[in-house]
Amino acid sequence: MAAAARALRVLPRVPSATRQLHTTPACLKTRAARVRVGKGDKLVTYEQAHPPHHIGHRKGWLSLHTGNLCGEAGAAQRAVEDAFLRRFLYGTFPGLLADEVVLKRRGNLLVICALLGRALPPHKLYFLLGYTETLLSHFYKCPVRLELQTVPARVPYKCL
Amino acid sequence: MAARRVGAGCWQRALWLGRRCRLPGGRESCRSSSSSTALGKTVDNSQVTQEEIVLPRRKTWDKLAVLQTLASTVNKDPTAAHYMFQDDPFLMPRNAANSRLYSLSKESGRNAAKYIIKNFPQYFDKTFAEPNVPCLMPESLTPQTKGVSEEALRERIHLRMVKESVDMFDQLQQGGTPVSLETTNSLLDLLCFYGDGEPTPENEQEEKEDLEEPEVNASEQKAPKRQFQRRSQSSGPRWRENNHAERIFKIMPERNAHSYCTMIRGMVKHGAYSKAYDMYIDLLNERHKADVHTFNALIRAAPYLKERFVERWELAKDFLTHMAQQKVQPTLLTFNSVLKSLRRCGGVGRTMSLLVLKEMEALDIEPSLASYDHLLSMYYKGVDAQSSDIISEVLDEVEKRSFTAQDPDDASFFTTAMQVCCDLKDIKLAYQLNKALEKGDNWKFLDVNQLNGYWSKFFSLLCMMEQIEVVLKWYKEMSYSLFYPGPKNILDLLQALDAANQLEVIPSVWEDVKQLGFSRRQDLLEEFLSLMSRDQHPSEIQLAFAKCAEEIKAVHEPAGPGQVPLEWTGSALGHVVVLFSRAGRIQDAWNMMEHFQKINRIPTDKVMDEFLNCAKQTNCPDEAIKMVKLAASLGLLSSQRLKSRTEEEFELSETQKKALESIKWDGDSSDSDSDSSDSDRE
Repeated sequence: MAAAARALRVLPRVPSATRQLHTTPACLKTRAARVRVGKGDKLVTYEQAHPPHHIGHRKGWLSLHTGNLCGEAGAAQRAVEDAFLRRFLYGTFPGLLADEVVLKRRGNLLVICALLGRALPPHKLYFLLGYTETLLSHFYKCPVRLELQTVPARVPYKCL
Repeated sequence: MAARRVGAGCWQRALWLGRRCRLPGGRESCRSSSSSTALGKTVDNSQVTQEEIVLPRRKTWDKLAVLQTLASTVNKDPTAAHYMFQDDPFLMPRNAANSRLYSLSKESGRNAAKYIIKNFPQYFDKTFAEPNVPCLMPESLTPQTKGVSEEALRERIHLRMVKESVDMFDQLQQGGTPVSLETTNSLLDLLCFYGDGEPTPENEQEEKEDLEEPEVNASEQKAPKRQFQRRSQSSGPRWRENNHAERIFKIMPERNAHSYCTMIRGMVKHGAYSKAYDMYIDLLNERHKADVHTFNALIRAAPYLKERFVERWELAKDFLTHMAQQKVQPTLLTFNSVLKSLRRCGGVGRTMSLLVLKEMEALDIEPSLASYDHLLSMYYKGVDAQSSDIISEVLDEVEKRSFTAQDPDDASFFTTAMQVCCDLKDIKLAYQLNKALEKGDNWKFLDVNQLNGYWSKFFSLLCMMEQIEVVLKWYKEMSYSLFYPGPKNILDLLQALDAANQLEVIPSVWEDVKQLGFSRRQDLLEEFLSLMSRDQHPSEIQLAFAKCAEEIKAVHEPAGPGQVPLEWTGSALGHVVVLFSRAGRIQDAWNMMEHFQKINRIPTDKVMDEFLNCAKQTNCPDEAIKMVKLAASLGLLSSQRLKSRTEEEFELSETQKKALESIKWDGDSSDSDSDSSDSDRE
């Protein structure tokens, strides 16, 4: 009796005649964060020109926090906050972001480093600055500081 | 590799680039973003083969070099704007108007965010921070308790809702529920504090109280009638007749000392001084004791109750005696109120103020900046400063210690003191005052708006009293970081440069003026042009001056949409011609000469002589002939002299000589025509 059970266990599994449904979305790892080569009229920044396997080698990180270190918690919350902050800034500074926003967390403080174009006059930029800082501070219950730098136009690195 | 290069410090990059080869265009490329330095480096690579590589010598560093460098970073950075502005050349304000505009826009952005947080509190009230941060939570400004009850009234008072509390109180009264004395007192406090208006920011106006009275004569005892008119015009919530506070006070069944005191303080705050005095008499009749704040308010009201200086002081002394009788201990604010009322007491005030200070010393109360402010205003009122050394004694006291804010009037001390230094024209006192400002927490007493005025006055004083090198050093350090020069400061600076005979600095001052946005001010332009064109200078300076003149000329011409060009004045036009002529730009000078007719002005002799000199230097006899023609057409007396000068100094060809002669004929013929017409009329 025991020997028969052992024999059943050792036998290879018989494939069953069921169909399986792929329920998660497709994750195209070979196309993420890569700008495809075009006719040569597309200007890309340094950030956009380098695909993600260059992070840590030719690129820095866009979001700096300690959530991913060993023994630290909150990585997922930081990721959700980052996603919200990027969308928020993309909408608050319409058409002005010249490059991706860099988020740095030092203790409780959240420093948002944004590179803007000069389409709006400075007093309007200061208005948006004060608004963003106050609103995000109240939303995330932590001090938020916005450090802006303006460039005349997007700085191209390559033409693809 | 790139990550490391991005993270490398500025000095590392500079050293690296310096070692490779000499940069052609200076070091400005180091400060831009990393990608442009990448481009810069590729440019250098291509130019290496063309330029020779110069290896700099090895630097030997002093043992203390690192410490010295670190120490130099601790001082104020003269190139940085105020901390509230972003450190970016586009976002840095260049003049006082911009600095105020940017700080106000930032504040209005904050207010917009607060508005959204107030109206949509449901998105901001999750408390996930450990520990909870109460200042970042939305404020709950709606009262929770419903219905008509004393609890609800207390809550509305706590939330500062003036109108609702009064309505609730009335409802309670009509319903017959007795309201306790404490609650009524707190309601009275609320009403007296806000003066029956709402505590919203739109209704808060600054009370422009006139503390100074114009002294018509030094010995005048009666206050001029103008004082009353000015007071009625000053803004701020005034105490209305029979407003809610008075009404509630009258219907109160029982009143204690606190009710009377609140009423008195509210009345004094909102300008109903005689009523406050009557209320105080009532309080005395009821045998209550007033507290120290009430006495302070009454002393402040004393100047408004009596007309003659002596009477005012007597009244203030009465209040102080009552205070002593009721065993109320005077505080710093009491003495400051006494000094404030003494300001309006003329000569009597001056003698008494020193006694007041001695009293403060006796009671071991340290005077605050407000006391010194009142003292200075009393002794240095008006331009005719009495000879007294109060200011130096005051400054000796002030620079010894670091003050804390104890009185709302503390904030005006430094501006008053700087004004006194400027009136006395004493630079040493100003330096002492600056040192006092740097001590401890004293810098907090000057807010951003006052800073500009303070340093502006200091700079004017510097220009008057100090050597030019010191002035220029201060100018370079102070502009944009401490204050933004105003038009008066620029004029003072130009005068100082003129006095020190260093007019070659003028082109750089003009650059600053352009950046500050004063390039359209007629008086500044006149000053610049007259200083530049007064004397002859060496040629490089003349060229720089001519460039400035060209830019000034551009201001007067229509450029771009919406820009109204400035009108030329005769002297300005003449100066521009002179400057162009001295730099050898004959064509530009001629263009300017033609403008004279358009504005119906005549060029002076000096202008035309300069033009001829220029024509001689550049060997353009045509221009000289054109000028003589112009002079003749304008009917100038000197046209003959100019014509003879042209004939003598220039080598004219035959055609030119004929042209010159023909001009004379035109002049003669016009003369003969006028003669004939005159004879016809006769």
